[in-house]
Amino acid sequence: MHFLAPSLLLGLLAAALPALIHRIGRRRARPIRFAAMELLLRAEREVSARRRLRDVLLLIVRTGLAMALPLAFARPFVEVKSDLPAVTGRSQSAVVVLDDSASMRRRDHDGTPFEVARARARAVIDHLSPDSEVALVLASEGATAPVAELSSDRARVLLALDAVPCSARRADFAAALRRATQILTGSPHGDRLIYAVTDLQATGWQEVTVTPAAAGGPELVILDVSGGAAWENRAIVGLAAEPAPEEGAQGIAVVVEIANFAAEPAHALGVTLALDGIEVARGFVDVPAHGRARKRFVHTVAGGGAHEAEAVIDHDSFTLDDRRACLVEASRGLRVLIVDGDPRTVRTEDEVFFLEAALRAGGSGFSVTTTLADDLAGRDLTTFGAIFLANVSRPTPAVAAALVHYVEAGGGLFISVGDHIDADAWNQELEKILPQPLGLKRTAAASPGAHPEGETVDLRPAERLAPIDRRHPLLSAFPAQGDGLSSARFFQFMLLTPLPDAPGRRVVLRYESGAPALVEAEIGRGRVLLLTTTVDREWTDLPIRPGFLPLVQEAARYLAGAPSGEATTAIAVGQKREIGVDADDRRIEIVRPNGDSRWLSPASHAGEARARRLVVFTETDEPGFYRVRAARGDGSVSYRPDAAFVVNLDVRESDPARLPDDKRPDRIATTSALAGPAPHRRLELWHALGAAAIGLVLMESLLTLRFRRGRVKA
Amino acid sequence: MPTLALDPQDIARLESMSVRARVIVEGAFAGLHQNPHAGASIEFAEHKEYAPGDDIRRIDWKAVGRIDRYYLKRFEDETEMRTFLVLDASASMGYGRRGPSKLTYGSYLAAALAYLLAQQGDPAGLLVFDDRTRQYLPPRTRGGHIRDLLIALEAVTPAGRTEPGRALAHVAEMADRRSLIVLFTDLLDAPADLADRLRQVRSRGNDVVVFQILDPDEVELPYDEVTAFEAMEPDDARRLLVDPRDLAASFRRESLALRERWRQICVEARVEYQFATTVEPPAEVLRAFLFARQRARR
Repeated sequence: MHFLAPSLLLGLLAAALPALIHRIGRRRARPIRFAAMELLLRAEREVSARRRLRDVLLLIVRTGLAMALPLAFARPFVEVKSDLPAVTGRSQSAVVVLDDSASMRRRDHDGTPFEVARARARAVIDHLSPDSEVALVLASEGATAPVAELSSDRARVLLALDAVPCSARRADFAAALRRATQILTGSPHGDRLIYAVTDLQATGWQEVTVTPAAAGGPELVILDVSGGAAWENRAIVGLAAEPAPEEGAQGIAVVVEIANFAAEPAHALGVTLALDGIEVARGFVDVPAHGRARKRFVHTVAGGGAHEAEAVIDHDSFTLDDRRACLVEASRGLRVLIVDGDPRTVRTEDEVFFLEAALRAGGSGFSVTTTLADDLAGRDLTTFGAIFLANVSRPTPAVAAALVHYVEAGGGLFISVGDHIDADAWNQELEKILPQPLGLKRTAAASPGAHPEGETVDLRPAERLAPIDRRHPLLSAFPAQGDGLSSARFFQFMLLTPLPDAPGRRVVLRYESGAPALVEAEIGRGRVLLLTTTVDREWTDLPIRPGFLPLVQEAARYLAGAPSGEATTAIAVGQKREIGVDADDRRIEIVRPNGDSRWLSPASHAGEARARRLVVFTETDEPGFYRVRAARGDGSVSYRPDAAFVVNLDVRESDPARLPDDKRPDRIATTSALAGPAPHRRLELWHALGAAAIGLVLMESLLTLRFRRGRVKA
Repeated sequence: MPTLALDPQDIARLESMSVRARVIVEGAFAGLHQNPHAGASIEFAEHKEYAPGDDIRRIDWKAVGRIDRYYLKRFEDETEMRTFLVLDASASMGYGRRGPSKLTYGSYLAAALAYLLAQQGDPAGLLVFDDRTRQYLPPRTRGGHIRDLLIALEAVTPAGRTEPGRALAHVAEMADRRSLIVLFTDLLDAPADLADRLRQVRSRGNDVVVFQILDPDEVELPYDEVTAFEAMEPDDARRLLVDPRDLAASFRRESLALRERWRQICVEARVEYQFATTVEPPAEVLRAFLFARQRARR
């Protein structure tokens, strides 16, 4: 123990005062010859035990008080060996990067790593020299910096630190270090340091390829709060839903993918599926060590439309990834609407003759309705599981909006082209749901090549289809040999404007030339198939080929069972969500998983979002279901199930692997500035002693008062 | 009640014990509206039918009113009652912090009683004791006896240990059947056999009165600083260093218990018990005693 004012320790002699006063008082006691000694001795025997206790207590308290005061005035302190790097004691500009990613929310015996990290960050800030400046940055992806500029106001930084909650986002140290480096740029201090307080989860550091110091920036100091060991974790890393035809039209299958990040296999791990908040199934699964397993639940839902599905596994220390959610789109049934864009009086020449015949074929189970393009506006599209638009020239804006809404809400749309198609009008009105913009009509120039024996030979130049990929669900039913499609010839087809690859869009069939023949796109919670040729014999002889019937029927079933599951309805924590706004919608309300709601107005958005009538929701901070309601111009408010979405944890946060020591940026770039013995931290004791003195004064007063009262009562 | 009762301090200022005794007796009878010099005995004995020549002042007019006959009151003086005044002069009786000591106060009461008895023509004796009989004056009625007795009372000093039982035994040997024995003591260190001795004396037909005299300090313990208390009697080495405020309440209880114990012992032995502190006017104590005896005789 050390003292700032050791001379004041002489005051400790005062500790002897109470005992001294007591002794002097007894010596100076007046002697009195008293007759009633017997009475006096009897009275003394009665009270002696209590009196002695009081005397001892008072002597202790008073002696303690007499010691505490000079001790406190001598300002004692002890130096404890700090676990902070030596460099923290220097004058510097520092940025504390606090890891507030989801993995920091796991709960150990000692609390959460985030609590430990916050305490370490506080220790760093406390320990910085008084002339240092400090800022505070968070490491989670997309987080704002609580103190985004260097500040010498330590109290403000600590206050901001205390107010930081741990997020559910993934860690992105690359961005956080860039931000910290930016803050430190132009700092007047010679020493510029970044203190990253983290559990060193490897996934958060993957994108850190160059340390700031290597680029001439500040030094990086990593304070590891993980305790040096990787934690064990099991997590749901995927949740998919698909139609389950074996269970009927309303049958769905939910597939839960579970990863085991532990060194020990997980036996009989419980998995529970809840639909719309009600537990509907529970099963068990064995997951190998460092492996994955899937659990498939099949269930029949009560009605069509979207359902909230959530899978939960038995909890471990990190509960946030023990559940995962998605929206499941149940089939709307096998009602099919065919829109005839080129009706003819001669039935066999009608645009949809072969299509209708294929869908109405015995045993297909489809309920087929045919209508004309002009009659489409008045129909309720939501009652149909799939809609086929065959050579429809140009949809009116109202029809186009209805189709967009239908698809985004989970409907299935099949588009086939032809001579009537106005490509520009389609590209303009239905841009949102077209898998690819329509281009020019192309006539095949090449010879059709060899053809099977006995085939009616059409001498026109034609394309054939490239070999099909049966991994696609639409084509999985076609046999490997004699699929009935390869013989089809395509005399004319429409080219599509190339687009960069996009999730949910893929080419299902191609011509031999490589041009796309059938393209699929997942739009919202629905699906669109675009056939670049006709469904009559105008541009192709596909309708008379054996593969046409199964292709059309599979397409109808595929479209009726709209895409669902995590892939189409979920985003990761922290990602923004665009929500389409109908013409009548004035405001959009998003109800978060915890019940809070946020109101968004299209008018508050600018630029592209406003033009596209979108609102952008960014507060996707917590995993769970986000429901959407729309307030219309007439004052009514209703739910928009088609706009609901799910926020799930980024699966990278589930991987507990630690960043290897040889890849730690601070180890790679260790400089002499960071070396040196660990500093000693001064632990001041006088505040505690002062408090103890006050406590002793109070205790002395209470004891005295109590004993006086005791005298009066006795 | 208007009285002429003087405080013990005032009485101490009077020049001699005879004056003190007279002042006390006058103060006591002033309260009773009776003249102590009228020749009446303090002890009423019986009635006698009037005969010519009898003192008409002794006619019991209440009896005349009730039975229409003239009767005279006859008093103890006509039955020759001898009184022994037994005064404890041990060292502990010398305690007196704010007034006269217990011994002084006891001598005042004894002197007053002796004076009153002499006025009535009753023989009064004195026995002063500690652990032995220090002085004995047998009861007499001759002239000058009262003066000797008062002088002896004035000269008494506290010393030695107390043995009231032995003193009572001594008195009992000399007393005849109808003697009055009045014991003045503090009863603080009285041995356990005193109760038996009282019963024995009483069983011989003697009338016994015990005056327990205590200093107010021995009732309240009103000290307010740390004090070293030491025993007063010789060969008693008991000593206690203590803050009396811690003990006051307990001491009061013990003191009260002591008085109650002796009151009970006296009641059981058919001995009259009187208690007085040294700050009470002796005349009032005497008056209370006489009044109690008058009431008991009726």
